[in-house]
Amino acid sequence: MEMLLDFWAAYSSTVVFAMVNSFIALSMYAVLSAGILSFTTIVFAAIGGFMAAQMIAGAGLPISVAIMGAGLAGLAASVLLAPLFLRLETHWMALASLALVLITRVVVLNAPALTGGVNGMLVPVRVGVMEMAIWLALVALVFYRLHHSWYGLATRAVREDPSVAATMGISTWRIQFIAFAISGAVGGIGGAGMAVTLQFISADTYFLGAAFTMIASTVLGGSFHWFGPIVGAFIFTALPTLMQSIVPSIQDVAKGVVLLVIMIYLPRGLVDPRARKLRKAARERQTLRDHHAPLEPSHDTILPGKTSKEAKA
Amino acid sequence: MTVSAHQDQGAPLHELRNVMMRFGGVVAVDNLTMAIPKGSVHGLIGPNGAGKTTVINLITGMFFPTEGTIHFAGKRTDGKQPHEIAALGISRTYQNVRLFSGMSALEQVMTGCYLNRDSSLFQSFLGMPIARANWRRVREKAMHLLERVSMADRADELAETLSYGEQRRIEIARALGSDPQLLLLDEPAAGMNQSEAREIGKLVHELCDAGLTVLMVEHNMSMVTEFCQSCTVINFGRLLITGDAATCLADPEVQAAYFGRKKHA
Amino acid sequence: MQLFLEQLINGVSLGSLYALFGIGFGLVFATLGILNTAHGAYASWAAILGYYAVEWLQVPFPMAVVIGTVGGGLIAIIVDQVGFQPLRGRKGGMLGALITSIAFLIVLDSLAGTATGHQSWAFRPGHYPDGLIDFGPIRVPQMQVIIIAAMLIVGIGMHLLVQRTRIGAAMRAVGWNEEAASLGGVNARVVILITAFLAGATSGLAGVLGGAATANISYQLGEGLLLKGFAAVVVGGFNDVRGTIIAGVLLGVTEVFVSQYLSSTYRDGVTYVLLLGFLFLRPRGLFGSGSFIRA
Repeated sequence: MEMLLDFWAAYSSTVVFAMVNSFIALSMYAVLSAGILSFTTIVFAAIGGFMAAQMIAGAGLPISVAIMGAGLAGLAASVLLAPLFLRLETHWMALASLALVLITRVVVLNAPALTGGVNGMLVPVRVGVMEMAIWLALVALVFYRLHHSWYGLATRAVREDPSVAATMGISTWRIQFIAFAISGAVGGIGGAGMAVTLQFISADTYFLGAAFTMIASTVLGGSFHWFGPIVGAFIFTALPTLMQSIVPSIQDVAKGVVLLVIMIYLPRGLVDPRARKLRKAARERQTLRDHHAPLEPSHDTILPGKTSKEAKA
Repeated sequence: MTVSAHQDQGAPLHELRNVMMRFGGVVAVDNLTMAIPKGSVHGLIGPNGAGKTTVINLITGMFFPTEGTIHFAGKRTDGKQPHEIAALGISRTYQNVRLFSGMSALEQVMTGCYLNRDSSLFQSFLGMPIARANWRRVREKAMHLLERVSMADRADELAETLSYGEQRRIEIARALGSDPQLLLLDEPAAGMNQSEAREIGKLVHELCDAGLTVLMVEHNMSMVTEFCQSCTVINFGRLLITGDAATCLADPEVQAAYFGRKKHA
Repeated sequence: MQLFLEQLINGVSLGSLYALFGIGFGLVFATLGILNTAHGAYASWAAILGYYAVEWLQVPFPMAVVIGTVGGGLIAIIVDQVGFQPLRGRKGGMLGALITSIAFLIVLDSLAGTATGHQSWAFRPGHYPDGLIDFGPIRVPQMQVIIIAAMLIVGIGMHLLVQRTRIGAAMRAVGWNEEAASLGGVNARVVILITAFLAGATSGLAGVLGGAATANISYQLGEGLLLKGFAAVVVGGFNDVRGTIIAGVLLGVTEVFVSQYLSSTYRDGVTYVLLLGFLFLRPRGLFGSGSFIRA
C-alpha cells in the first residue's frame, strides 16, 4: 500500500499530463479520422489555453468553467477556419495548417494584453486528477458515441475513399467541417488542460514541438479508432519518464527509435480494429481447415470471361 | 453514323443531351445523346476505351460535362456535386470493386444506407432513443440487402477477406442501400465465372421487376443479349447506335467496331 | 543609400539561404510526397560536419563545404531508406512518412545537441572567408557574396535539372505516380535516391554556409532554416524551383528591412503575415499551376 502511494506521488503528475495530452491527440484524431492531415489542433489549443488562463487569472472563474469556455473558444475558431481550410487540396492543407501554427506564435508574442506576450502567463491554480479524469471520460464518451453513429461511418468512408463516399450521398465537405468543429472544441479543452497543469503557458507551449509530438503520439497509438490517440498520448507521455530511468543519456534518441520502429512495423498504430478483425478471420479459417478437410474450392476462380469474341462464340 | 430509328418504350428516366467531355485536348465523350428508359435494364457497350466509364462518371457528377446537359427525372444534374446527385436517387458500382478497407460487409452496406439516416448528429451523440431506433432499423435493412445478394452469413466479416465475386455482390448491396431509382453497374460480371455472372444477371432482373432502372456497362455480349432490353453502343466517345439489344448487336458498324471486321447481318 | 544597399545585399543573402534550403524541402514534398520535418536536421548536421572538418582536420573551407554538402545528402539517403522506403506502396503514405520524419527529427536533433555539447559553435576567424569585399562605396562580407552565388548556381541548376533533363522528367513522373514511372522505363528507386540526395545536399549546403555566416552551428540552425525555408516553399509554390527562389529572397529582404526600418519585434510577424496572405489569396504560390484547390 505504501509502495502504491509512493508510486502515485511520483507519477500522478505524469498521469495528469498524459490525460491532458489525450485531449490534444483526440483533437488531432478528429480531423485525421475524416482524412485530413492538419496541425490546427495546436492553434485551437493555444486559443483555449489563453482563454482559460484569462478566465482563471483575470476573471477568477473556477477551472471547470474555464475549461468549458476554452472548448467553446476552440469550437468558434475552428468553425471560422474550417471553410478556409476546406477550400485547399490535402497536401496544401497540411502546409497551411503548419503555417498557421507559426503565425499563432507570432500573434501570441505580439498580443501581450491577451497572452502576456514574451513573458507568458502564470496560472495560479492546478487542476485535480479527478477533475481531469472526468473531463477525459466525458470527451471519450462523445467519441465512443460518434464512432457508432452515422457520422462515424461517414468519416471512415470519406477517409478511405472520398469519391466513393460521395456516390453514397455523403458530403465530404460537411463531414470534414464537423470534424474540424470537433477538433476545435476538444483542442480548446486540451489547451486549457495544458494551462491548468503546466501552470505557465507561453507562445512556446503551443508550438511545433507540441504539434510534432502530438501528431506522432496520435498515429503511434492508432488513428483508426478513438481509443488509439489516448493510448498514444499515455505512452508518449510516460516514455520519457521511463527512458530516464533506463537509458538517461540517450532518452530522446530512444524515443525517436521507438517511434520509428512502431511506424515501420505497425504503420496503422497500436490500436487497430482492422488488424484485429483480420487476425480473427485468419483464426477462423484455421479452425475451419482443421475441422473440414478437404477444403472445398474457393469462389474466387477468376475466369477471363471478358473477351467478347469468346462470349459470342 | 447510323442511328436506329427504334423508339424506346416508356419515358426516359435519365438523359444525356449532346454531351461533350474533353480532358485537355482529348475528347473522351463526343456529342453523345443517350436516354435510359424508365424501368428497364439498359446496356452501355463499346470496346475498351470507348468512354463508357467516363459516361458513368458524368452521370454521377464525378466530372462536369464540357458541353451539353444531363437530366434525371425531370431535373438538370450537370454541375451538381456527386453527393447531391446521389441524394436524387442515382447509385453505382465500380469496375474494379471499391469497398472501404477496414469495414465489415454489414458496415459497408450500412454506409450505403447513409441517405436513409433519420437522426441528427446531436441525437446520436446524446445517445437518444430515436437515434438508436433508427440505427437498428437501418441495420436490419442492411441485413436484408445482404440476404438479397446471399451474403447475410458473411455480414460480420471484413470485406477484404472475401472473394472477388463476394465483394462484387456486397458492392451491389451497398449501392442499393440508398434506395436508388437508377442503378449504374460498371461491368458487374467482370472477373466472374459464367454461373456467378448469371446470378448477377438474375438479381438485376429481380431488381428491375421491383421498379429499379439499371444502366449496365458491359463487355460481355452474352450478358447484354440475355439481360438488357435496350442498349447504347459507343465507340471513341461517339454514339454508334441505340435501340433494342438484338438490333444493336447485329448492326454491321457495331460488329466492325467490336471485332475489327465487317460482317453482314 | 549606402546602408540601404548593404542591407539589401544582406537581405538577399539571408533570403538565399532560405531559398537554398527551401528548394530541397519543396522538391521532396512535390516529388516524393513527404512533408519532411527532418529536413532542417540535415542542415544542422552538415554545419557540424563542416565544423569538424575545418577545426579538427584542418581542411580548407571549400573542402569543408563539400564535406558538409555530401554529408547532408548521405544522411538524407539513410533517412529515406530506413524511414521512408518501408512505407512506400502502403496506403496513407504521407501521414506515415510525416511521423517517421518526426522520429528522425527527434533522433538527429538530439544527437546534434550531444555532438555540440548543447552549445552554439562558430568557425574561428580566418578559418573561413570572413573578409569584406568593396563594391564601390559599399562593403559586403565575402560570405554573403558566396551564399548568393551558391544559391544562383544551385537554383538555376536544379530548375534546369527538373524541367529540362530526363532525370527531371522522371522525378516529376515519380511524383505523379511511382507505378506509372516504372512502367515508363524509369527506375523509380534510383530517382528516389537521387531526389533524396539532392534535397539533403542543398539543405546541407545551406547549413554549412549559413552556419559560417551567422556564427551559429547547433541543432537550432536547422530549425530556424526549416521555419523560413518552409515559408519560402509555401509562398513560392512547392513544385516550382523559381517560385521558391524568388519567395525566399523576398522573405529575406523583407525581414532585414523590417528589422532595420521598423522594429525587430515585427520581423517574424511580417514574414508570417505575408505567408498567411499567400495561403488564402494565392494558394498555388507565385507560379502556381496544377490543382491545389479542390474541384
